[in-house]
Amino acid sequence: MRRLFSHPSLAIGLIATLSFLAIGVLSLVWTPFPIEQINIPRRFLGITPEHWLGTDNLGRDMASLVMSGTWTSFLVAAIAVIIGMGVGVPLGLAAAAWGGPVEWLVLRLSDFIFAFPAIIVAILITALVGPGASNAIVAIGIFNIPVFARVARGGALSVATLDFVAAGRLAGLGNAMIAWRHLLPNIMSLLIVQGTIQMSLGILSEAGLSYIGLGTQPPATSLGLMLKDAQGLFLIHPWLTLVPGMAIVLIVIALNIAGDGLRDALDPRLRQENPNVLA
Amino acid sequence: MSLLEVSGLSIRFGANEVVSGMSFAIERGERFGIIGESGSGKTLTSLAIMGLLPDGAAMEGTIMLDGARLPRLEREMARLRGKRIGMVFQEPMTALNPLMRVRNQIAEAIRLNIEDSETQVEVPRLLDEVGLELQHGDRFPHQLSGGQRQRVMIAIALASRPDMLIADEPTSALDLITQRKVLDLIAEICARRQMALLFISHDLKAVARLCTRVAVMHRGKLVETGEARQVFSAPQQDYTQKLVAASRFEVRPQDRPAIGRTLLEVDGVTLDYRQNGFLFWAAKPLRAVDAVRFSVAQGECLALVGPSGCGKTTLAKIIVGLDRATVGAVRLEGVSYHGSDLPKALRRDISLVFQDPFGSFNPRLTIGDSLGEPLRLEPGLTQADVKARLIEAVQAVGLHEEMLDRYPHEFSGGQRQRLAIARALVTRPKLLVLDEPVSALDVSVRGEVLALLARLQAEFGLTYLIISHDLDMVAAMADRVLVMEAGKIVEEGRPEQIFAAPQHRLTRDLVAARLPDIGAAPSSP
Repeated sequence: MRRLFSHPSLAIGLIATLSFLAIGVLSLVWTPFPIEQINIPRRFLGITPEHWLGTDNLGRDMASLVMSGTWTSFLVAAIAVIIGMGVGVPLGLAAAAWGGPVEWLVLRLSDFIFAFPAIIVAILITALVGPGASNAIVAIGIFNIPVFARVARGGALSVATLDFVAAGRLAGLGNAMIAWRHLLPNIMSLLIVQGTIQMSLGILSEAGLSYIGLGTQPPATSLGLMLKDAQGLFLIHPWLTLVPGMAIVLIVIALNIAGDGLRDALDPRLRQENPNVLA
Repeated sequence: MSLLEVSGLSIRFGANEVVSGMSFAIERGERFGIIGESGSGKTLTSLAIMGLLPDGAAMEGTIMLDGARLPRLEREMARLRGKRIGMVFQEPMTALNPLMRVRNQIAEAIRLNIEDSETQVEVPRLLDEVGLELQHGDRFPHQLSGGQRQRVMIAIALASRPDMLIADEPTSALDLITQRKVLDLIAEICARRQMALLFISHDLKAVARLCTRVAVMHRGKLVETGEARQVFSAPQQDYTQKLVAASRFEVRPQDRPAIGRTLLEVDGVTLDYRQNGFLFWAAKPLRAVDAVRFSVAQGECLALVGPSGCGKTTLAKIIVGLDRATVGAVRLEGVSYHGSDLPKALRRDISLVFQDPFGSFNPRLTIGDSLGEPLRLEPGLTQADVKARLIEAVQAVGLHEEMLDRYPHEFSGGQRQRLAIARALVTRPKLLVLDEPVSALDVSVRGEVLALLARLQAEFGLTYLIISHDLDMVAAMADRVLVMEAGKIVEEGRPEQIFAAPQHRLTRDLVAARLPDIGAAPSSP
């Protein structure tokens, strides 16, 4: 744990990410105002003691909207990462452990999925079952699968050349056991780092999907939806666009810094514990 | 006045002092060797002289070249590095630019250091001096062999006509025959050019071959320094004595069970690799192992020697069941298999000890978990049985049972190799295949590991198949030797007989490339 915080960028990134997450979680139990409360007479208020970030075109409290939107963004991105890892990592490990036709199949499958950006998948899903936050989750999750499959396969391939994997085979372990016992634990750090990067990409994708109306639907809110609502008023009330925009930028920067820091802290090749390795 | 004078050199990383109080001097034209094991700080010392210390390293002390302190400015230091000191690195593949023809790399080194130079004349001359043909200059580094690459590195180091050459383990990535050739080349060039040499190595024999004066380093300190002959024949310090003793493999003969009937038979094993587009052999399959036929008897110690790439490791992989022979079969006590189809019931009878003790344990598993893995081959063992077997194996290799709960990174190379042997023993195998069991270890622990292997063989009546390129080790351990070249067994016999009167060309080369025992004077080229 001390090692984690010896990297300043990791400490800053993690603290920033966790505070955004805390704000998001808080919105589940408490927001200054209910987000669905429309109050036309109080619209376009600037920053007031009552409304910390003002109100939007429908008189909703911006601070409450940002809190709630942050939660939506995190939730969508996190579940999408879990979907991507849950499907992609086993596929990648299988490709590395079995090789041959399995590997070919996994690689071609991931090429196939790579060919469809998240937006195309989202449009497809919307055409089938209608828009909604869960569609955004599925679309971004599917987009994450080949990313994790490739990272897992690449990492596992480099681990698989090491002697302890051969020792495992000598001990009669099958491919599945090799993947579970020897490959997965040794690529965990790689996957965690990739996970944070995909988190930030997921938050951006969610914002994008909501912005074009394929993601979260009112009365729920998300940062992308707030942008969409504010865009027609940008020249008159730029503040309404700036607040959710800045929130997205800050969350993504925080996640990226945390991801970089995690990579530095976890990657043994970059870690210099013992200077004697040089000699 | 000495050419190079190092006094009170200390290098530290934070609070960790890795080199402390090094002082030595090198005269013009002198060949000076620094001996030390991994982690002794010998490479850092050479980097300090070149002004190439890594970030985060703090240096104290003075380094004088020709009576002048080394410049502090990076710009001047860079001029000096090129002009006065040449350096040859350990791994030539990473030291050469893969995208440049070697001729241009040598020409670049000349142009940078000598004004109005005639590279058209100089480059062929340098290539010739390091024993390369003119046409080698037109190749890219990956088209050259390891020895040729190292020759190119030497040519680059010589390009500026330096006063001193620093060679940091220049031969440890090369095989035995090439190693000898490169060492001879360095000796010859130093003598011809009257150039000083700072030679850094863990290999006492190589240092003894090249150097007239040596320094021994241990844990960042200079332990002993003196004339090479004196240091090697009458070492004064305990550590030096231990090193010198360890470099002469003396495995005491033990009472061993008599050699019994045939245990393993290799019958015409051939392995072809299909390969797509590699250099000239684009379509033709590569025959890694070619109709190999031999047998190992119960309780015997058979050695398989050969240069790198001759297929000896591939053959070992087939025998232990990691790879599959294209043609031919292996028979273990009459049961025939082709490699990876080795029946599960037989897997416990064959174990493999890997070359690299650092890669052979999963860093995320405890030693106990790793060691217990092969016991899956024996169904029906209770938890207590497994525990007992693990303790038995760990104690057999002279380590303590508490180590089972620790993780691999807590152990040194020698301890890990002992643990690797323990893992190989845990299923009580009949045949132990040892792939270069000591070549990745420091000199001082090699002897210990070999003695351990000899003791275990006597104790448990084990059969060994040792794969190595180290003739000294083979001579000390083996009952019978097979020499392998390009996938074929070319010679077979008792070690004394093979090394005294080698028949095949390769065996003669190997025996000739053996470095003389230390204590003898370095022969002048």
